[in-house]
Amino acid sequence: MPTQALSVAEYLKLVNDTLRLIPSDQVVIEGEVSDFRVAQGKWVSFDLKDEQAQAVLKCFMTTWQLKVAIEDGMRVQVKGHPNVYERFGTFKLNVEALEPVGEGALRRAYELLKRKLETEGLFDVSRKRELPRFPERIGLITSRDAAAYGDFLRILNNRWGGVKILHAHVHVQGREAVGEIVAALEYFNHDAAKAAKNNQNNNSNALQGGADVLVLTRGGGGLEDLHAFNDEQVARAIYASKIPVVVAVGHERDESLADFVADVRASTPSNAAERVVPSRSDISYELETLTGHMESRLSHTIQDRAFVLERATNLIGFILERQKERLSRAKEGLLLLVNSWLPRLREGLESSTRVLRQVDPKRVLARGYSLVTVGGHVVRDASTLEVGGEITVQFAAGCADARVSRVNNKGQQKLV
Amino acid sequence: MTAKKKTTNFTESFQELEEITRWFDSQEQLDLDAGLKKFERGLELASELKKKLAEVENKVEEIKSKFA
Repeated sequence: MPTQALSVAEYLKLVNDTLRLIPSDQVVIEGEVSDFRVAQGKWVSFDLKDEQAQAVLKCFMTTWQLKVAIEDGMRVQVKGHPNVYERFGTFKLNVEALEPVGEGALRRAYELLKRKLETEGLFDVSRKRELPRFPERIGLITSRDAAAYGDFLRILNNRWGGVKILHAHVHVQGREAVGEIVAALEYFNHDAAKAAKNNQNNNSNALQGGADVLVLTRGGGGLEDLHAFNDEQVARAIYASKIPVVVAVGHERDESLADFVADVRASTPSNAAERVVPSRSDISYELETLTGHMESRLSHTIQDRAFVLERATNLIGFILERQKERLSRAKEGLLLLVNSWLPRLREGLESSTRVLRQVDPKRVLARGYSLVTVGGHVVRDASTLEVGGEITVQFAAGCADARVSRVNNKGQQKLV
Repeated sequence: MTAKKKTTNFTESFQELEEITRWFDSQEQLDLDAGLKKFERGLELASELKKKLAEVENKVEEIKSKFA
């Protein structure tokens, strides 16, 4: 028996070299997870156990390799390379891929990831954006072979026209689905936006790329079919999209994590079309309502004005009428008054005339009296006369000028 | 390009029409002259928009890039 002493390290290297002979790529190991731990947010370790035979396989992987959320008690299938870690002499499986097994495990993985993303705020209502009311360019991410593709376009065409649909053909299930959906979301957010910018700079021709809204859709299915829509990477890509995203998966009852992250969750592909574009009839009705409203406001105003005008005209007519009445009443009153005092006036005038006639100096002269004046002034006192002065004597008929030869009874009134 | 232009106008025209309608509601005492002018503009916009409603076609463009 040949003996050759090896160092421990040499021996472990031999063991590891031997382990590498196992065709690990073709081996899948199935078991139940226990003692699941994550260290420093990077290193994942757990035990994989068989329920019946008491067998334990220690497993190790990184958080980046772990694409699904797992917990103790979950049934999983793993693929990886076995290895003895020299420093601690422990045998471990370096896991490269892990998948939950069966509907129950998938359901649990789904719930775990959902809780994680929810805690991170990916589903927050506050970050959900409104869709443009009249989109011009819709980025459609789905398989051209899926019924969803036809349904979406059919309903879209029924409702609205003049829209450009930029279709990114992707697998919506199977191994390629996640990578393709993520790439399509990124394309619309980066490449297309860049292309749009370049085109805008070069000329004013049709913008390439640059969608207003993205629609990610597929028909319904079981948890396994919908895996891409429940994938963490897809959820994060939707979350990261600068363009609002509508997600529509399957039938009314189906839910997916992509739904929760989306800005708008549509129940079906057809519903997605309804959410993305308005319907012609709705907008047509709205146009009628808007113009009708303007018209009625305007005609009301015109009616109001006409009413005010009519009232003003009536009022002015009324005032004029009243003034006219007042005038004619005043005229009548005046006439009445004039008629009553005119005869009295005439009577008064006549009696005055009579009095005046009686005191008329000419009547005195006619009785034989004379009137002596000097320089037009009647002489009442002989003492005011000057001897030799000239006087005028007025008779009833004619007058005579005379000269004063003597003044008698100075200071006394001379009686005639 | 025309499609693009038209649709841009659709959103803008629709907003303008809505604004005009709001203006009619916001006026306690409507200025008749301004009202008539706005009304005329509103009808013009509405008829443009109705024309656009008659458009039936949507174009699908396949994106050539490979997603992987």
